[in-house]
Amino acid sequence: MSAITCDQLRAGILDPGTLPGDWARRPEAAGHIRTCPACQDWLDAFTAGEQAWAAEPANDFATQIIARTAGVEAVLRDLPLLADMDPGAGFTERVLRATSRKPAPQGWRARVSGAWRALVRRPRFAWEAAYVATVCWVLVFGNPVGAIEWSATNIGAVARERLGPPVKELRADIETWRARIAPEPRPAQQAAPAGAMAEPVPPVVRAWQSAAAWLRNLTTPVVEAFRLTWESVAAWFESPAGQPPGTPTEPRADAARSPQ
Amino acid sequence: MAWEAFVRQMQGRLFALAYSYAGDREDARDLAQDIFVRLYEARSQWPAGDEFLPWLFRVARNRSVDYLRRRSVRRPASTAGETELAQLPDPSPGAEARAIDADRRTLLHAALRGLSAINREIVVLRDVHGLPIQQVAALLGIPLGTVKSRASRARVELTERVLALSRGRGDA
Repeated sequence: MSAITCDQLRAGILDPGTLPGDWARRPEAAGHIRTCPACQDWLDAFTAGEQAWAAEPANDFATQIIARTAGVEAVLRDLPLLADMDPGAGFTERVLRATSRKPAPQGWRARVSGAWRALVRRPRFAWEAAYVATVCWVLVFGNPVGAIEWSATNIGAVARERLGPPVKELRADIETWRARIAPEPRPAQQAAPAGAMAEPVPPVVRAWQSAAAWLRNLTTPVVEAFRLTWESVAAWFESPAGQPPGTPTEPRADAARSPQ
Repeated sequence: MAWEAFVRQMQGRLFALAYSYAGDREDARDLAQDIFVRLYEARSQWPAGDEFLPWLFRVARNRSVDYLRRRSVRRPASTAGETELAQLPDPSPGAEARAIDADRRTLLHAALRGLSAINREIVVLRDVHGLPIQQVAALLGIPLGTVKSRASRARVELTERVLALSRGRGDA
């Protein structure tokens, strides 16, 4: 086993503080070079550059070109190493599993379910389904936002229109029941029924009420006649130029219409 | 089974291509599987003969670009650590040889990550996977002369990065 690594060998040879030949002749470096084909190739390329530099030491540009060319050649020799790499254990089985033949689905049901599964597995399926559902909702039920706005402005009218008749019926029912429940106004004669609950009316009061009723019945026609006479007299006084009430007044002649 | 044989034959190459795009081992596994699934789905359209490999790379690149686009929306791209890269197994015999190869791969991957996306694609397709430069130009949709000049600059830039990384690691 070499005492130094490839990197140490190459770094030592490239070290500007030491002469490459001296460094390469060290026992540990020489031992490594003997056993390392990569470093042998690398040293060959480097030596080619060094020899060119030795042939024309004053020409720095040429030196750089030659050294660079040698380096490129070395790199180009190594690059095909990267063309084949082991992907690791299990890779072949993994690929074969991913590409295993699956029997073609038989029947329309299997095809439909397969197509459905492929559709559902798509990453954007949830978004697409939500979009389609929204479009269907709008087409079937209309614009929900518009309905909300319409409701906000028209809910009072709708309530009156829809709830008006039931409310009226209810109100009528309430009045009916109220009328049934409330006691009816009764005449004075019937105010004291012969029941045990009615208050007893003294005979004097009863006699007085009878006398008053007889007198009222007797004077009513006279009072009515006097009232009618009074209204006729008042109407005669209110009529213009002392004309008797009920006499039609002739219309005055219109001067504009009369040629005379 | 022909498909299984195809997967076993191409998985290393497609995984490497996916890794160059994803820059992360787990992401590269997902991406490579995605590419295989796409190839399986399009197995009736596979071109025959010499047209197959460019078509395969086109499918892989399209899936990789889609994957990177989705990942850039989902989360920032992660960069693989050198320790992870060093752990990539290699079929070459011998522990020391594997360690050396892993070290060189680590260095190259780290240097490749420093390139711009288009330069990295050119280097990966042209110098890693060996596609002819005409096919690289057709695949990337850029003129042939642009691919040539970019390829030269990308190689020089990659070399400088490899040397810089070597020195940096040596100093550390």
